[in-house]
Amino acid sequence: MIARIIRFSLIFIVLILLQVLLFNNIQFSGYVNPYIYIIFILLLPVEIPSWMLLILSFLTGFTIDIFSGTPGMHSSATVLAGFLRPFVLRIISPRDGYESGSDPSMIIYGFRWFLIYAATIVIIHHTVLFYLEIFRFTDFFRTLLRILLSSLFSIAFILLLEFIRKDK
Amino acid sequence: MRNLLNFLAKYNNLIIFLVLEGLGFYLLSTGNGYHNTRIVKGVRGLTNGIERKISNARTYFHLRDINQKLARENITVRNNFERLVKNEELVFFSVLDTVHQQQYTYSSAEIVNNSVNRQKNFFTLNKGKMQGLSVDMAVTTNDGVAGVIVGCSRNYSVAMSVLNSDFRLSARIKSNGYFGSLTWDGKDYSHATLSEIPQHVTFGIGDTIETTGFSAVFPEGIMIGTVSDFEKSGSDFYKIIVSLKTDFKKLHFVTVIANMKRTEQRT
Repeated sequence: MIARIIRFSLIFIVLILLQVLLFNNIQFSGYVNPYIYIIFILLLPVEIPSWMLLILSFLTGFTIDIFSGTPGMHSSATVLAGFLRPFVLRIISPRDGYESGSDPSMIIYGFRWFLIYAATIVIIHHTVLFYLEIFRFTDFFRTLLRILLSSLFSIAFILLLEFIRKDK
Repeated sequence: MRNLLNFLAKYNNLIIFLVLEGLGFYLLSTGNGYHNTRIVKGVRGLTNGIERKISNARTYFHLRDINQKLARENITVRNNFERLVKNEELVFFSVLDTVHQQQYTYSSAEIVNNSVNRQKNFFTLNKGKMQGLSVDMAVTTNDGVAGVIVGCSRNYSVAMSVLNSDFRLSARIKSNGYFGSLTWDGKDYSHATLSEIPQHVTFGIGDTIETTGFSAVFPEGIMIGTVSDFEKSGSDFYKIIVSLKTDFKKLHFVTVIANMKRTEQRT
């Protein structure tokens, strides 16, 4: 248990640093802003209590908010993603259910499952985030394009990180 | 109490979610200038519509009061107006002429009876001998000529309208000064006929027709109308159709012009 908390704390710090120092500075032509820190919410154990998931989601978003100077924006998006994660997990659950005490990772449940899982959460998160950022419905389709492109990049990076983890 | 606790236990995730999401939105709206402005604007747009509806309804309910107030105001204004008009009525205001002796005096009057649809039309003025009017004074409006007074009682006068087949008026074309006689053919209340203009005279449609001073009734240069059409009438003269400037159907306030040298000029 303690080992797990330390492991996730480390992941949390590394992801925040990656996001703030590296990915916040990636901007291809104003359309692509990958937000990979969402992987922290993806990787939390399947059986984590919902309230803890929500609070951790809020904390993640809030930390990112503090570093990028946009109070409330990432928090709202991550809280929604954290709230919807149990439902997503239930919908795409494998035929024989989740193993008790497991993390929702590619190593255990396979590439296809993880892709669907990550894509769903990432798209939900990015949709909320980008519309909150622009906060109006003029340029609706431009924002939609930004969401799709950024989600594509985020998912690609998340898969990359998962492959690295898998090889280790 | 137990129900409440059960409720909280059942929906604790939803409640935590809503609380955190609310906190997120609160931070969003207070921490970011842009989002704050957008939210305030949106809320104001929403309430504006409702407030306008309420305000509309309120004005509707107040219509009665407003009507009474307006009626009272109307009475005050009308009284003031009456006083001013009555004051003016008794005064002939004069044209200052320092070189020559004054020739024309002006006075205002109202039409109380009028017709345009007979062959011989007359109108009645609300002033008579007591207010200084007499026979053969000219009646004009701001637009142009209206008629000539033909009879006066103590407080009323009857004037022959331009729209009278007996009416004759000496008129000229402003641009070149050729004059003729203006009559009314009894057909159309907005048109009269100017005859006796020789055929060598050049003029165009739209030229101004004005009075000459020859009749000793009208002062020189008062507008009558404009040329709307002309044709050669048999001999050497034009028959010019004049579109009258004065609208005889809505004649109301007129100016009465008295020529003080009329007798002298006539003889």
